[in-house]
Amino acid sequence: MTTAFVQTRQPRGLVLAWAMLVGLTRRSPTFVLGTAIVLVFAALAALAPWLTDYRPTQTFPDHVLSGPSAQFWFGTDGNGMDVFSRVIHGSQYAFGIAIPALLLMMVIGVPAGLIAGYRGGAIDDLLLRTFDVLRAFPTIVLALAVVAATGQSIVIVVLVIGFLEAPIFARIVRSEVLALRSSELVEAAVAVGNSTWRVMLVHVLPNSIRGATAQMAIRMAWAIRVSTTLAFIGVGIQAPAPEWGVMIRQGAEYINSGEWWIATFPGVALVGLVLGLNLFGDGAQDLLDPKHSDSR
Amino acid sequence: MTVLQFVARRLALTIPLLLGIIFITFMLIRIGGQDAVGMLTSPLASKQEVDAIRASLGLDRPLLEQFAIYIGNVLQGDLGNSWQSKQPVLGEILRRLPASIELLFLSIILGAAIGIPIGLRAAMRPNGLFDQVSRFVSLIGFSVPTYWMALMALFVFYLGLRWTPPPMGRISIAAFPPKPVTGSYFLDSLFAGDWSAASSAGHYLILPVAVFSLIVAAPIIKQTRAIAIEILNSDYVRLARLYGFRPQTIRRLTLRNAFTPIATYIGSELATLLAAVSLVELVFSWGGLGQWGLNAILFGDFAAVQGYVLTLAIFATTIYLLVDVAVLVLEPRSAISK
Amino acid sequence: MSLLEVENLHTHFVKRDLRNQVRVARALNGVSFRVDRGEIVGLVGESGAGKSLTASSIMGLLGKSARIVQGSIRFQDQELVGMTAEQLDAVRGSEITMIVQSPITSLDPLSRVGDQLIRVQREHHAVAREEARRRAIEMLMTVKIPDPERRMRAWPHELSGGMAQRILIAMALINAPKLLIADEPTTGLDVTVQAQVLDLLNDLVRSRDMAAIIITHDLGIVANYCTRVAVMFSGAIVETGPTREVFARPRHPYTQALLDSVPERAKRRGGGQLSGAPPNLYALPTGCLYNYRCSKATETCRGVPPLIDVGPDHRALCHHASA
Repeated sequence: MTTAFVQTRQPRGLVLAWAMLVGLTRRSPTFVLGTAIVLVFAALAALAPWLTDYRPTQTFPDHVLSGPSAQFWFGTDGNGMDVFSRVIHGSQYAFGIAIPALLLMMVIGVPAGLIAGYRGGAIDDLLLRTFDVLRAFPTIVLALAVVAATGQSIVIVVLVIGFLEAPIFARIVRSEVLALRSSELVEAAVAVGNSTWRVMLVHVLPNSIRGATAQMAIRMAWAIRVSTTLAFIGVGIQAPAPEWGVMIRQGAEYINSGEWWIATFPGVALVGLVLGLNLFGDGAQDLLDPKHSDSR
Repeated sequence: MTVLQFVARRLALTIPLLLGIIFITFMLIRIGGQDAVGMLTSPLASKQEVDAIRASLGLDRPLLEQFAIYIGNVLQGDLGNSWQSKQPVLGEILRRLPASIELLFLSIILGAAIGIPIGLRAAMRPNGLFDQVSRFVSLIGFSVPTYWMALMALFVFYLGLRWTPPPMGRISIAAFPPKPVTGSYFLDSLFAGDWSAASSAGHYLILPVAVFSLIVAAPIIKQTRAIAIEILNSDYVRLARLYGFRPQTIRRLTLRNAFTPIATYIGSELATLLAAVSLVELVFSWGGLGQWGLNAILFGDFAAVQGYVLTLAIFATTIYLLVDVAVLVLEPRSAISK
Repeated sequence: MSLLEVENLHTHFVKRDLRNQVRVARALNGVSFRVDRGEIVGLVGESGAGKSLTASSIMGLLGKSARIVQGSIRFQDQELVGMTAEQLDAVRGSEITMIVQSPITSLDPLSRVGDQLIRVQREHHAVAREEARRRAIEMLMTVKIPDPERRMRAWPHELSGGMAQRILIAMALINAPKLLIADEPTTGLDVTVQAQVLDLLNDLVRSRDMAAIIITHDLGIVANYCTRVAVMFSGAIVETGPTREVFARPRHPYTQALLDSVPERAKRRGGGQLSGAPPNLYALPTGCLYNYRCSKATETCRGVPPLIDVGPDHRALCHHASA
């Protein structure tokens, strides 16, 4: 059962790629759909200036609050700015916050998790207690309070999200490490005389990061949600930045007077990207975890 | 171990946790925060005047000392005064908490009523069509921001269809709020026999509860599915199948065993949900604790922010304790495991 | 007429891999054996040989990707293959029953032992609760559980492994089944408890006019308790016969290797560890499935081996068995 499958005719090139795509879709449609959505948004972020006719903060005083039209596909907002351009450029903010925040979480969380899992002891206790505190408490309120108190910059938002979520990452890596520590792979590596650090870096780290892949996407989705929520409430990134949360906040004022497009389109984009990341994460979890993929 | 001993031990663990949360928020806000005194004084005030106010508020002392004083006051039931309303924070919190709790609990009941059956059904055939669809729907629920969904619901059901009242509080301005007993306008009007007030309060509840219950249902679907799948793959369900138990017996067996973990999960989410409900409150001008807390955060109303955080933390730890006690009492297994 | 007759049973796992290719794991490749009333048959072989899968196939409880593609399972002249779930539910737990290797986790953690014993009766027969309760207590006495009245109120987590296994035996036998399948019934139990449980099982099967299949990799258990033995390798029964006969004169090279791997024999005969990997179920060797590991393999072994009578009721699936 363990040896590789010997096949008479191996498909090649495009045929193979197509077969793999079909196979993957069959295994985890969510993963494929999620990947596709995230790629689309990445393309939007990268190509934003070429996809839009107007700059996101360009104002058209004659077209304040005009509805969707051929000139302004998603209409204009209360400042006379093109909602379409702002929505497209908003994806730059989303990735611009999510990626650094994710990196920060990993830079803090992965080493902490590695050390806590591999060494145990006081560091492990500290990590678990920190996690307990954060778990017992809605972190979004902490994020809000801190960002509101410390200043309204994107850097602060990234720092706060990164720090608040790092323990979660640390815990994921820690449990991966604990599972691996007793595995034959690591035992063998230690037995042939590798140093502890070498074993951690060469064997434990890659394996535990692989285990945390799904979480990366889910944490990115979370980072985007938190940053847009902060902006919606009015802390963190401020108008006129073309950030989705800011735009929904601006649009909220006009919902009751019927100018629905200002809040609707950025919301759709926000849901789309967050959903894409969550789908990706959910699918990756299934694909990486054999326990889930083959439920007897 | 008796239940009392268990509670005592848990309380002993809870107090440092609470202190930790208060300490973290206290320090972060004080160190990084805007100068609160600046907000209270006129820009033309002289330095001496500012310093005098600072001293009168105790803000000139070392941070740790300020913290100790704050904790001392909290222990005496004094959470300080709001800088905005000049009212005692404790009173403001107690006045607003019922509105939030009403919204929260109704949404959770409805969310559980939607989420649990869907999760169970999905678990029956993992990766089947129903599972795939419900999983997708629950992921959408995970991904939709609460406030945006509230806005969209308002646009459709209030502005478009006129089915629901405007997003302005908990009862029509034409109706008289009932005498507070539980704090829920709806229940209190019913107790008072004021049907028109009850009807108005009920109408105002519909949309916020509908929106928030969908947000709540998403993670419940996911957890219920995971819990049920684990049980369906368990040794005891396998044995039940080996012994030819009827499908309905197996369903009952699964349900009974899933109940405690699902209830525990919902309990553990309550604190996060109490924070999240503030966004619904904001959009619907609900006037509950959450809306007040967000407002306090926005305006740097220090004592109010601290009071809000403290309330959430106490709420969270209390709920955890209650959930654990309930499990201890209900679950035969826990007698040895704890 | 035998109680149970399994004939040429093929069970496969069908899956799609990442390249969307269908992959078939041939887990059972023509299993044939029979069980008569009053006898205990031992099913032995290395892990992965298909012992448990044979049991699951008989019970009609296969995983989603597994299916019986060929063969028949006749129980009291009733064909079980192709029965609906409801039809099978009438047989399972009442006519054919099974005990499993993890007794503690196999009991419903939220029901008292007594309630579970009552439930298993009432699932199959319309019995009054009081009557079921009386029978449950009686059954607990039969499986030699002290103070059965008190045990009826015990929770599963309060039981020791040996106690839980006795309860499971009580549950399995309470509906007076004809056939009992015991899948590694004593793994995880103390050696002394193992013997007690097996002795009990042995007595009950003999006194109640039942038959049993014991699935195990412990040849000692087979030698002590089984009248006949069936040796499995790679999803096929390679040798079957009366236990004494097979153990004294093994004719299939795999049986010989298996017997030589038993520590006492290994010392005496200078044999050794059972060597070699289990076959790749996705790409089985042609002809004799054991040929790639067999020390006596010749060119003939590339052909499908015949089932050769090598003694009274003793058969081996090997080209060279008669030699």
